[in-house]
Amino acid sequence: MNDWRMHRQILGAAAFLLVCVAALGAYVIWLMTWEADELAGNPLNMRRSATQANIIRGTIFDAQGRALAQNRADGTRSYPMGAAFAAVTGYTGQEIGSAGIEAHANRDLLGETADMSRLGPLAQLFQSDRGDDVYLTIESDAQQAAYDGLAGRRGAVVVLDAATGAVLAMVSSPSYDPNNIEQQWQALSQQEGGPLLNRAVQGLYPPGSTIKPLIADAALREDVTTTSETFDCTGVLDVGGGHTIRESHGEVHGTVDLQKALTESCNVTFGTLGMRLGDKRLQSAFERFGFDQEIGGDILMTKSHLPPFGTLGSGDQAQTAIGQSSLLVTPMHMALLAAGIANGGTIMEPYLVQRVVTPGGLTVRETVPQTWRKDVTTPSRAALLDTYMEDVVKKGTGRAANISGVRVTGKTGTAENAQGEDHAWFIGSAQLPNRKIVFAIIVENSGGGGTEAAPIARKIILSLS
Amino acid sequence: MRQFGSSRLLLAPLGIVLAGLLVLIAKKHILGFASPTELLAGMDWSFAPWLGLACVLAVFIQVLLVRCRADSWLFPIALTLVSVGAVEIGRLKMALFAPQLRWLCVALLVFLGVLSLWRQWQRLLDYPYLLGLVCVVVLGLPMVLGTEIGGSKNWLVLGPLSVQPSEFGKILILFFLAAYLSDHRQVLTAARRRLLLLRLPPLRFIAPLICIWGLAVLMFVVEKDLGSALLFFGIAVLMTYMATGSKSYVFLALAFFGLAAAVSYALFGHVRVRVAIWLNPWSDPNGMAYQVVQSLFAFGTGGIWGTGFGFGHPGFIPEVHTDFIYAAIAEEWGLVGALMVLVCYVLLFWRGICIALACSEEKKALLAAGCAALMLLQAFIIVAGVTKFLPLTGITLPFVSYGGSSLVSCFMLLGILAALSVGRRTA
Repeated sequence: MNDWRMHRQILGAAAFLLVCVAALGAYVIWLMTWEADELAGNPLNMRRSATQANIIRGTIFDAQGRALAQNRADGTRSYPMGAAFAAVTGYTGQEIGSAGIEAHANRDLLGETADMSRLGPLAQLFQSDRGDDVYLTIESDAQQAAYDGLAGRRGAVVVLDAATGAVLAMVSSPSYDPNNIEQQWQALSQQEGGPLLNRAVQGLYPPGSTIKPLIADAALREDVTTTSETFDCTGVLDVGGGHTIRESHGEVHGTVDLQKALTESCNVTFGTLGMRLGDKRLQSAFERFGFDQEIGGDILMTKSHLPPFGTLGSGDQAQTAIGQSSLLVTPMHMALLAAGIANGGTIMEPYLVQRVVTPGGLTVRETVPQTWRKDVTTPSRAALLDTYMEDVVKKGTGRAANISGVRVTGKTGTAENAQGEDHAWFIGSAQLPNRKIVFAIIVENSGGGGTEAAPIARKIILSLS
Repeated sequence: MRQFGSSRLLLAPLGIVLAGLLVLIAKKHILGFASPTELLAGMDWSFAPWLGLACVLAVFIQVLLVRCRADSWLFPIALTLVSVGAVEIGRLKMALFAPQLRWLCVALLVFLGVLSLWRQWQRLLDYPYLLGLVCVVVLGLPMVLGTEIGGSKNWLVLGPLSVQPSEFGKILILFFLAAYLSDHRQVLTAARRRLLLLRLPPLRFIAPLICIWGLAVLMFVVEKDLGSALLFFGIAVLMTYMATGSKSYVFLALAFFGLAAAVSYALFGHVRVRVAIWLNPWSDPNGMAYQVVQSLFAFGTGGIWGTGFGFGHPGFIPEVHTDFIYAAIAEEWGLVGALMVLVCYVLLFWRGICIALACSEEKKALLAAGCAALMLLQAFIIVAGVTKFLPLTGITLPFVSYGGSSLVSCFMLLGILAALSVGRRTA
C-alpha cells in the first residue's frame, strides 16, 4: 500500500480507540481504589457475610478464663452462662444481627484485622478458618451475684475496677437467654419490660439521692457552703412559687452539717445547696463529671438527659440537686460518678475487652486503660466525700452493705418516678485486697435504696473477696 | 532454535491454566474434603484430553506461524486471554471447564482452517455486494427465526446446537466494509456535493453504508441486542473513517445514531430501563439493577490485589461466566489482573494495526485494521458495561467469556490477522 493518507487515517482511528480504552482503564483504577472501600462495605454487599459464614467464631472468655460464648460442634453458638451474662455477651444470629461483645468484637471473633484486608490474596495465607478468642474483664462470680441479687426484678448493675475502668460486672434485668434467641426473637422483641434493652448503659433513670455526692462536691468547690456550716432541717423546704420539698417518710433531721446531711440523705440541705449553686454552676458540675458525654467502643453508653439549664426556676434547681426534676442518668454513669470520687478525681474509661488472642496463642491486642475524665474533683475533696460515704455505710442509710473487714463506701437513693413505686439506688466503692471496685445498682420500682439495692452490693463484694 | 524460542511464549497461558487448576485442587484439599489421592481420583478429569489436545494444537500452530513468518505475538497473547478466562470459568462452574476447552480445540482447528485456506477466503473480498447480501441474510435470520435466550432474541437453535449468528455476521461485515470501502474510496473521498456543511457523495454510494447502520439499529430494536448493535455500528464508523478520512461520514453516522437512540428511547421500555439503571443503579439495587450493582460490588471487593483466585464470591452476579466474567476476574485477581487483561487487548490491537500498516493492498489493510479494532471495541463495550462506565450492553468478552460461538469467531478474526501477516516478518 502506497497511500500515506490511509496510513494516517488508520492510525487516527487507532489512536481514538486507544484513548477510549485509556479512559476506561482510568475509570477501572478509580473504581477499584478510591471507590473500593465504599463498595466493599456497602450493606447490600453480601460478600463479607459470605466470607464470615466459613469462619468458626472465636470464644469469649471471662477474666478467669471461663467460656462465656463458644461454638458448638454443629457451628451454632452456645452461651454456657445464659441469661445472667446476656448484657455482656449479647447474641449473634444470621437473621437478627448481633449485640453486645458479639457485635462490638465481631472482627476479632472472626480473626480479621484492618491491615489484613489490604494484603489481597496474601491475606488468605494468614486468614485461619478459626477466629480469635476474646478475653473480657468480667468477673463471672460478681456478674452471677449481681444477677441473682436482682432476683428477676427489673434493674441493672454495673461494677468497675476504679483504677482501670475494667468492667467487672454488667447486668441488665429482665434478661433473655442468648442460647435460643433466634427461636424466641418475635416474642422477645415485643415483650413488656424490654429484655433486649441493656439497661446498664442504655436505661435512663432519675438518680435520686445518689446524685448528692456530686452536689456536695460542687457546693464545696464553688464555696457556697463549708464543711462546718449547719443547716436546720424542719422536714420541709420552701423553694418558692408555693412549692416545697419534703423529706421522705416525713423525717425531720434537725441541725445537720454537710457530713450528716449526706449520711442521712437530707433533702432540705441539698435542695438549699442546689438553689445556692444556680443553673450555671449546676451545669458545670454535671459536665465536669461527663454527664453530657456518651461512650462508644465496647460499651455503648448513652448520654444523660440533663434539665434545660439556663431556664430552671429555683424549684427545679432544688429538685435537680436531689436527683429529681427532669434529670435522667444511666447506671453506668452513676458507677463512673462513684469512680471519680473513689479514684481521687480521675475517671477511667470503662472497657470490656482485656485482650484478643489468636488460636495459636499470640496476643494481637491488649487494652491499655485510658483516662476518660481528669480532675473532676480534687484529691482532697474526693477523700473527704469518700469518708462521708463511708459513714453512709457504717451508720447511715447504707448499712445493709456493711461488711466487717472491708472498707465500703456508698450512697443510697430512692428515686421518685412516673412509673409507680420508687426506684431503689445504691452507688459506692469497696476496697478489696487486690483492687478497689466501684458499683452502681438500681432496682426499678422496688422501694428504698437502703433496703433493696444496698444488699445486692454486699453480695457482689462478698463474691469478689 | 528460533521456532522453539517463540513457542516459549506459550508457557504463559499454560502456566496460568496449570497454576489455576493447582489452586482449585489445593483449595478443595485444604477445606478437608479428602486426602490428596482420594481427591485426585474423585476429580472430574474429563477436561484432561481436551487440555492435552489444545496444548498440542497450540504448539503446532505457533511453530507453523513462525515457519511461514507470520506474526508470532498475536497467538500467544490471545491464548493468554483464553487461559485466564478458562481457569476463571473452571473456578466458577467446573462443569463448564471441559466444554470451554473443547470449544478452544474447535476454535484452534478453525484458526488453522482460516490460515491454510486463506487463498480461497480472500477472494471473498472481490464480491462486496454478494457479501453485503449474505450479511443481511445472516443478521436478519434471528430477527425472523430467532429464539430469545437471556433477554436477547439473537440466537438460532439448530437441533442440539445454539448459535449466535451475529458472532459470525460481524466477520462478514468486516469483509464487506473492507471490500466496498476500498472499491469506492475514490468516489467516497472525492465527494464534492455539499449538503449544509457536509461533503457527501451521491446517495447511491453511501446507501450501502446507511444499510449497515440501519441493520445495526434494527438488531437493536427487534432483537434487543444492544451490544452487537453498538459493536456493528462502531466498527462501521471506524472503518469508514479509516478508508475515507472524512469527518462528514463520522458526523452523519453520529447524527444517525443519535436520532435512532432518541427514537428508541422514546418508543421502547427496555431501552429506558437500561438507561435508568446506568444513571442510577442504587434506586433499585435488588431489582432491575441487581446485576450491575453486584458487579460493582465485585470490583470494590477486589480492590488492588483482589481476594485471591478462588476466594472471592463472584457467584452473586448472574451470568457471571459469560458477559460478566470481567467482574469475576476483577474481584479475584484485583486491579492488577483486570488491567493485565486490558493491556492484553491493547497489545493484540497494536499487533493488528502493525499488520494493517504493513499490508500492500488497501483491502487487506482495511480488513486487518478492522479485525484489530473489532476485538478491542468489543472488549471496550462489555468492560465499560460491567463497570457502569457506559450503559450495560450484553456481549461477550473476546477470548475470555464462556461460549463456543464467541471463541470460534474470535479465533477466526485472529486467523485472518495471522494470514494477513504471513511472510511479512523479516528473517
